[in-house]
Amino acid sequence: MVVRRSTSDLAFRNWVLEQPEGETLLRCYQCGRCTSACPVAAIDNSFNPRLFLQKILLADESLAEEQLVWTCLTCEQCEVRCPEHVKIPHLLILAKVRGLVGGNIPQAALDRARAILAGGRIIMVNESMLKTRDKMGLPDLGQPPVDQIASVLKEIGLAKKLENVESVYGGGSNE
Amino acid sequence: MTKTVVVIGAGLAGIQVTQQLTDLGVTVHLIEKESIIGGLATHLGRVFPTGDCALCLDACEELFDGHHRRCQYRSLLTSKKNLKLYTQTEIRSITEVDGKFSLSIKSHPRYVLLDRCVVCLECINVCDVEIPDEYAIRGGTRKAIYRPISQGVPLVPLIDMDHCTQCGKCVEVCGVDAIDLAEKAKTRTIKADALILATGVEEKIPLNLPGYAYSESDDIITQRELARLIDPTGDTDGQVITSSGDAAAKVTMILCAGSRDLEATEYCSQACCTYSLKHANMLRDKEIDVTICYMDLRVQKASNHYLDLAREKGVKFLRGKPDRVVVRNGKPTTIVEDTQTQQRMEIESDIVVLASPLSPLASQSEVLADFLGEYGFALRVVKEGRVYACGTATGPEDIPTSIAEANAIALRVYADLEGGR
Amino acid sequence: MSKMKTYTYFPGCMVPFRLPHFELAARAVLKKLDIELEANPGHACCPEPTTFTGVDFEAWITLAARNVAVSETTGLETLSLCSGCFHTLAVANHMIQEDENLKGRINERLKTVGLKVTGRLIVKNILHVLHGDVGLERIKKEITHPLTGLKFAPHYGCHLVRPLEATHMDDAEQPKWMDDLIEVTGAEVADFEDKMACCGAPIMPSDADKAFTLTADRIEKIRASGADAIIVVCPTCYTQLETQQKKATAKFDPEYSIPVLYLGELLAISMGMKDMVISNARRYHRVKVGPLLEKIGGAA
Ligand SMILES: Cc1cc2nc3c(=O)[nH]c(=O)nc-3n(C[C@H](O)[C@H](O)[C@H](O)COP(=O)(O)OP(=O)(O)OC[C@H]3O[C@@H](n4cnc5c(N)ncnc54)[C@H](O)[C@@H]3O)c2cc1C
Ligand code: SF4
Ligand code: SF4
Ligand code: SF4
Ligand code: SF4
Repeated sequence: MVVRRSTSDLAFRNWVLEQPEGETLLRCYQCGRCTSACPVAAIDNSFNPRLFLQKILLADESLAEEQLVWTCLTCEQCEVRCPEHVKIPHLLILAKVRGLVGGNIPQAALDRARAILAGGRIIMVNESMLKTRDKMGLPDLGQPPVDQIASVLKEIGLAKKLENVESVYGGGSNE
Repeated sequence: MTKTVVVIGAGLAGIQVTQQLTDLGVTVHLIEKESIIGGLATHLGRVFPTGDCALCLDACEELFDGHHRRCQYRSLLTSKKNLKLYTQTEIRSITEVDGKFSLSIKSHPRYVLLDRCVVCLECINVCDVEIPDEYAIRGGTRKAIYRPISQGVPLVPLIDMDHCTQCGKCVEVCGVDAIDLAEKAKTRTIKADALILATGVEEKIPLNLPGYAYSESDDIITQRELARLIDPTGDTDGQVITSSGDAAAKVTMILCAGSRDLEATEYCSQACCTYSLKHANMLRDKEIDVTICYMDLRVQKASNHYLDLAREKGVKFLRGKPDRVVVRNGKPTTIVEDTQTQQRMEIESDIVVLASPLSPLASQSEVLADFLGEYGFALRVVKEGRVYACGTATGPEDIPTSIAEANAIALRVYADLEGGR
Repeated sequence: MSKMKTYTYFPGCMVPFRLPHFELAARAVLKKLDIELEANPGHACCPEPTTFTGVDFEAWITLAARNVAVSETTGLETLSLCSGCFHTLAVANHMIQEDENLKGRINERLKTVGLKVTGRLIVKNILHVLHGDVGLERIKKEITHPLTGLKFAPHYGCHLVRPLEATHMDDAEQPKWMDDLIEVTGAEVADFEDKMACCGAPIMPSDADKAFTLTADRIEKIRASGADAIIVVCPTCYTQLETQQKKATAKFDPEYSIPVLYLGELLAISMGMKDMVISNARRYHRVKVGPLLEKIGGAA
């Protein structure tokens, strides 16, 4: 788990620093409290948030290909305890984002993202669901404004990006 | 005309600045809120860099030419003509009129008269009340008439009226009529040309520090509490024992337990690395296994030999800030990543010691608020010619630095007041 | 009678369609407390904070900001019953407040659909509303069927509580608001280790086995407290602790099971609406709640 290689340019690190709350990375003094706080690290010694941050600090973009980053719960137990308030799960999220093109994304996550773009929801709403709501006396919620979603995301070009992504995880979703 | 200075706080820095100024002919009122002088030093036992008793420091002449500290036990603090010591005294107001300070101070009664008592201590023997001793860690007790520590100056006992039953036994036994159970508090006004804050620091009690479970176990203690355990004059006679009375075989120390933490104390407390090493070495001398969890070790140059010694003596160093201490089967277990081996460790030990932050005492006093800066510490020169500070009142530091600062401020005050720049 | 207060209701995906009994119970309880929820057709998926963030963070916050902007147009405070949705809206709102650059960038995008985000929206979860806006005293008055003799374990879940600067909850490690609400029903609050531990759900897509290990650990610690049921706020925690319970407990004791109740259901029962809860019990609770409801006794 020692850093295996690092890219010579600082592209990855600089990109992270430019993102909202990305500069909290620079406050990390590598104390390791996050790792000892983390419930995932407690059951998997190769999951080490401190080392993940070290990789970003060293601009080692191999982190974006690590499937391990997707086993972060985003529970923020590390962040609550971090003496420097580093936004640790958020920084791992940024690493995940960089891994998208390489397919480092669980299939279920990809499915959800596509569902949101296509229908405005992460789940398919079927007739029986609507009937149940009706029977319970719950109001009709209408259809999400899918056109608005497409419109505000146009500049980001997410739909295009997602078209070619193939999950390296394979398999279907767990839901 | 002789100038008058008020020194607030009779810790080592306050004592030192007072000694220097009175030697130079300045009149000093030394005001201390506790019943004895010495401040933090009364808790410490032996201190770095020389390993001497914090209270009797004449012995360190070779290192510091003999003048920078004095033994308060044998000091002249209570007998110098131009020095007035007020213990158990609080400052109620400070006003500045025509370039002079006027302080209203209130001295709480000791109930034992300083000018009569001959320190035979018969009164303590006859007192029937027994209550927990503030200086004890493992359940030691004291009487209602007592001396906080035996070397405390003034040496005369005092009565803790919250617990005294007014039985009168001490009054009866006293051969010199020194006890006055009806003594009243005294309020006085004193005038001064300048003020010196030597209000020092206290070690934070980490009751609310997340993760380290201080309030859950008596085997999770602070470095100050460990100092009491190691001190041969403490209630365990210097034996390092757990809350259940067994001799400790394994101790884990957590440095920066609250310091350098945006959620707790932002700054570095400066002295704790070194006194943790000091304590670790003392524990090794008792063949106790010691692990120090640290982020980096910040040891002053003059004390670097404590680090070398610790390595020689086999203190284990683990680089990593523990997330938490959990109590399992009655034993504190420290959960930490060893950042050098990248292993997550669970270290079970008999006692966990927290290097809790040193935080300024001055910020607990409303009348001093105007003189304080960031975090509640004061600048050395708060206001030219009028208000100064020295010792840990200016920021956490060790004794040599506090004393050096006291000397510097004494000269500065003298020069400013006497115009002899 | 006091006047009705209305909140903009942010439904999200899970609550209204997968777990409509959450919404039913919440609406019924809130109605007793003179609160109405008003949905807005402009809202879409929040988007959920555990995977979509890692797909494209900029897209996530843009879509979240669109929902915030829609809410802003209602002029009301927004309440979400789902912790994921609440977290997304609260965090996006907070980041927009803190980062002018980000706000500008997002507003450029929102312009294309005629919306604008200011960061002034107040986003609330059910605990803010019940504990803060309504208050324990008022709720107490509606408790007609006190749940004395029962002990419940409050599972807060991460995203409801953290990060504090965005969620404005009471404490990141030892939150108390749900405890107080459980106590108001007359029940006892179970004391168990790792109060704020995660249910495990977020990593189901990437490593289900690890997720089950965490879920199992969670349930095992709750078991040690002797709780009669786990009380949750979040539909995702609910699904994990409820529908995945069997797979998880297989790791330590296949025989063991513990009912999981939505806080709204608990309050509904204590307010005399047990029938409503029973009528949905079979369909939406995989762990039987029947025995528990019998313990509560008496027809409601
Ligand atoms: C566990 C531990 C071990 C240590 N070991 C060592 C060591 O080995 N070597 C070393 O060099 N340093 C050591 N230190 C640090 C050392 O204790 C301090 O540097 C030193 O004691 C500071 O002296 P001081 O006079 O500045 O402050 P203090 O000792 O804190 O004295 C301040 C005095 O001011 C009084 N006071 C405060 N406010 C008021 C007020 N408003 N009115 C009246 N009086 C007031 C207090 O009661 C106190 O008596 C140790 C510290 C700790 C906690
Ligand atoms: S706890 Fe914070 S400062 Fe320490 S290593 Fe982790 S991120 Fe860095
Ligand atoms: S947020 Fe991720 S890295 Fe942090 S404690 Fe939770 S699982 Fe570990
Ligand atoms: S008060 Fe009296 S009895 Fe007590 S120590 Fe002083 S002289 Fe002795
Ligand atoms: S002196 Fe050492 S232990 Fe104390 S706060 Fe500074 S680094 Fe931490």
